[in-house]
Parts: sequence; C-alpha cells; structure tokens
Amino acid sequence: MRHPEIVIITGAGGVGKTTLSAGIGVSIARSGARTLVMTVDPARRLADALGIEIAHGTNRPAPVPGAGPLDAVMLDVTASWEAITARHAEPEVADRLVGNPYFRAVADRFPAAQSYAAGEQVAEFAQSGDWDVIVVDTPPAAGGIDFFMAPRRMRELVGGRILRWLTGARLPGRRLIYRTTARPMLRLADALLGSALLEEIADFLLDLRSLYDGLAARAAAIDRLMGRARVLVATTDTPGAMHEAGRFFTTLPELDVTPAALIFNRTLPDAWITARGPRGTDSADAELRGNLARWGAEARRNRDARLEIAARLQIPMVTVPWLRQPPNDVAGLADMVAAADGLSPIVVAVAG
Amino acid sequence: MAPAIASLGMVLDRSLVIVSGKGGVGKSAVTVALALRAQRTGRRVLVAALTNGIGAAAHLGAERLAYEPATFHGEIQAMLVDRAAALDEYLRVQLRAPAAAPTRTLSKAMQVLVDTAPGIREVISMGKPIFDMWQGEYDLVIVDAPPIGQLMSYLRAPAVVAGLVPTGAVRNQAGRMAAALEDPEQAALLLVMTPEELPAIETRRAIDDLEVEPLVAIGGIVANRVLPPLELTARDIAHLPNRPAAAAAAHHLALLETQTTVLADFPEATPLPYLFGVRTPAEVSVHLADAWEDMV
Repeated sequence: MRHPEIVIITGAGGVGKTTLSAGIGVSIARSGARTLVMTVDPARRLADALGIEIAHGTNRPAPVPGAGPLDAVMLDVTASWEAITARHAEPEVADRLVGNPYFRAVADRFPAAQSYAAGEQVAEFAQSGDWDVIVVDTPPAAGGIDFFMAPRRMRELVGGRILRWLTGARLPGRRLIYRTTARPMLRLADALLGSALLEEIADFLLDLRSLYDGLAARAAAIDRLMGRARVLVATTDTPGAMHEAGRFFTTLPELDVTPAALIFNRTLPDAWITARGPRGTDSADAELRGNLARWGAEARRNRDARLEIAARLQIPMVTVPWLRQPPNDVAGLADMVAAADGLSPIVVAVAG
Repeated sequence: MAPAIASLGMVLDRSLVIVSGKGGVGKSAVTVALALRAQRTGRRVLVAALTNGIGAAAHLGAERLAYEPATFHGEIQAMLVDRAAALDEYLRVQLRAPAAAPTRTLSKAMQVLVDTAPGIREVISMGKPIFDMWQGEYDLVIVDAPPIGQLMSYLRAPAVVAGLVPTGAVRNQAGRMAAALEDPEQAALLLVMTPEELPAIETRRAIDDLEVEPLVAIGGIVANRVLPPLELTARDIAHLPNRPAAAAAAHHLALLETQTTVLADFPEATPLPYLFGVRTPAEVSVHLADAWEDMV
C-alpha cells in the first residue's frame, strides 16, 4: 500500500489557514486524487461550503458535494481521545478513564492534548488507505507549533518522571501517591486542591499511565508522518503573523520537520506601489488618486514584508492575492488557488 | 435583555480591562493603544499579557515581556503572565510554600496536577492581574487576553473551581475573583473585531454567550481597521483606462461593502482607522491611541 501524501498548513491565528487548507484540498481533488481535508474549527461559511456538520463532530469524514473525490472532516478532540483510550488501554481501564470527570479536562485543556489528538487522527486516516492525500489544518493552540511538539510532549507526560514520581513506581497499586517521596509537595498540593480531589486526580493519572506503551509507539509513528509531510507555513503581512511564521522556521527543523513553502496570504499587487492615478481635475479623479496613494503605501509595506521574510527564511514563497470576497463555495476555493502564484505546482506535485 | 454595552470612554474608569476578540484582529495593538490613552491621562497602567506576549511586546516596541514588569513606551508597565511563574508565585505568596526555591521536579509535578484539575490553572493565571489590581499599585490593569473562545474558559474557571474544591484557599480566591470580574464598576471586557465576516460572527457569539452567562460586563466593542469612505461607485470605475487606480478603487469598494454590512450590526462599535502603510507595531499602537484621543 502506498503511503498517502500529507499536507500540513500551519501559521498564526487569523491568517486564513482553514480557507487555504480547503482550497488546496479542493484543487488536489480536482486532479482525481482521493483527498481528505481535516479542519479544526471551521467557520460556518466554510463548513457549509465543505458540507461539514459542525454540531456533531464524530471524526467521520463525509464527501464534499460537487468536489469530486474530496472528503472533509472536523476534528472532535473528545471523540478522538475516547478512541485513543480505547486503542491503547485495557477495556476495563479505558472505561474507567473515559468515565472519569478529569478525562474531558485532559482532552480539553492539556496544552498538548488537542494537538496530539489531531496528530493521532491523521495517523488513523493515513493508515486506513482510503485517501491518496490528506490535507491538515492545524489547531490554533500556541500558534500551531504545538501540533508538531504534541507527540513527544504527550509521551513525556504519560511516561515521564513526573507522573511516576506522583503516582509511585508500580502501576497496579492504587493510592500510591501517599507513600511516595513526594511528601513536601503533597502538603502543598493538599492545601491547593484538598485531599479528596488530590486522590481522585492521582487515581486518574495512574490510569493514564497505562496508555503509555500504545501511545509511545503511536507518537513515534506520528513523528515520522510529520517528518515526511509537506508543511506549508501561512502568514500575512501583519507583524504578529510574520513573527509567528519565523518561529516555525527556527523550531520545526529541531523537530526534524522541514517546511516546504511559505504561503503569503492577502498579497497586494506590486503595480499599485508606483502607479499614478488619473491626471484629471474633477472630484472623481482626485478621489481615485487619493485612494491609489493610500493603497500604494499599503502595497509597498506588503511587498517589503514579503521581501523581508523571503530574505530571512530563504524558502520558496507562494503568494495568494487579497481577495475582495472570501471564497464561500467549492468553485471559489478552486479559483483562489488558481489565482495564487506558486501554489499550483505544489498541488500538482502532491496530487501525483 | 441585551447586555448594556458602555461607551468606550468609560472603560478607562475601570480598574481591570480585558481585551479579547478573534485571532488576528489586532487585540494587542488595541491593548497597547488603550494603555497609552490611559497613561496620557496620568493613570498608572499595567499591561498583563495572558497570551505568549509576542504581540503586546511588539506593540510596546519591546523584544519580549517577562514575568517581572518592565517599563515601556514612556510610563507603561508590562508583564507576561507566565503560567509556571504564576503558579510558583501563587504557591509562595498565597499558600506560604517554603521560601526556599521549589525544586524543579516539585514545580513540574505541581504543574501537572494543576493542569489535570479543571479550572485551577485558569484561576491562578487570571488571578495574577486581578491580584495586581487589588494591590493598588496601578490605577488600571489591562489584560491582553487570548481569543474569545479560550477567554471564556478563564472566565468560567472560578465557578468550575467552586464546584470542585469544597474548601480552601483556591476556592476562596476563585470566589473573590468571580465577584471582581462580575462587578461592572471594576472590570470590563473590550471586544476587538475588524469589519469582516468571521470576526463579526465571533464577536456576536461572544456577546450572546455573555448574555446567557454574565461573567463580565462588556465595556465596549472596537471595530479595528475601519476603512475611510470612498466617494465613487462601481459605475464610476467600470470603464476606467487607468488600471491600478481602478483596481485599487474596486478593492476598496468591495471591502467597504462588507464593512458597511458588518458595522450596521454593531452600531455601538467604536471605529479605529485602517492604518495605510504604517510599518512597525509600535507606530501602529501610537497612531491608534492618537485616533482614539481625537474621537473623544
């Protein structure tokens, strides 16, 4: 069986990751490749375009109407963690974990848990053999970099020194927390949480440890998957987004992930920078000149931002024009990719 | 009953202003602009970043923020609410943990415990700026908060903790914290949006959520990056020979159309101008503060 191609779109919040992911997915599917777009929190408009039912996240992909062999799915973190637990724990422990009130807390709030769930879900979809290409819109947590760190962080948490120290050396014994060397901390933890809550948490963490073997093996597989994925970092010309994009390029190589391209979204035409408006003297001409001067200044800033980040990062850059109307259907999404400079070759390469 | 949304000048009279909105709308820029506005009226201001602090730092013209407040942009104090540091301080100050520096293992173990119990982490992190407000060293504490979805879990945390921990210091603090947040004389939420479809949807959702759960009063809505009007119609530019001028006008008109539709739904929003060609984040916040001042 051929490994599916994995495309990961990452970047700061508000740069258009979800729309770009959907557009890339639509374009790849148009070439006939069986494609899946996995998104995290799609806006209603985009969800409608992709035919995703937002209310019921089941992690079950559904075909996108009118988009050829394209499926879409919205990640449901809690459902993912239930599946992860069922996969990696003994049935009895899995039931106890899923029924535990802290289970949801872990799924919802551990910084790495949402991202890990996304990674494990991608691995599941990749293994199924149902798709040639999987396009992943990364979760927004910590600017998306969490997505790439999550496998090792979860492995560290569940199998790590801290949990062993908290819950005792042996797995089968319960309530070991009160017999460990952790006494000074226990007094603190007890003052903070109260002994009843502390005991419940300790029991829960003990159960969580039993996931370790399965989770460690899977985390390594997710790391490999990310290592061979095409990672596209999206940005706009806002300083925050550019800073965030720069961080991906310094951090990802440390995780053995190499970004394939930078997608610069909301690009303004360079022609506006030097263009002169109409010379006429009537008020309409004056209005046109004034407006062009404003947007010319903005286009210059936009171009300088592109030049700066290209010089800094030394990587192929894709530019996506600032669209007057955001795409709201399958055709609009495909048009967006067609209008982008440098995106079609990536789509062709991925679609094989 | 629709939540009363105060006029924007009023947020400056509060002791705590939380700034939030969808990702990418300019929360940090507005946070710093508000801080500049308040500082110009002689108030002692602390900016507390509840995010990674990158945006607030850039708009203050700083490299980065630290847990220890430092002075930027004149007289504004700013800090990063680092989760681990906030917990360590909490344990030391509130629970009188031994003054000797906690070992790394102990500190990390506490982090895991606190992450597992719902609500505790949020109460401790959000508690830091509120604690600073109580200390009275500042007239106004402005929180550069995470996007609104995440902020809701901070705002709900005191109730979660109250339901979870029967007694003790954290529960008491959570109660005081909820009371402070709910008191419209003390605390206000400033929602930042841009006149675009998605930010408008998120802002509406936040207003609706807070109507059901009045966890904090909405002190105002800022519509950031509002475009100036253009005295042209699509007809005027339909047959223009000058292509860039026509294209720029068409671009502007299309954005204006969305803007007009969106702003019609938010008549209470205070507009801040789109800053054409302004380069550095520090300049952006100064320009926004100036624009704000001109309006009042």
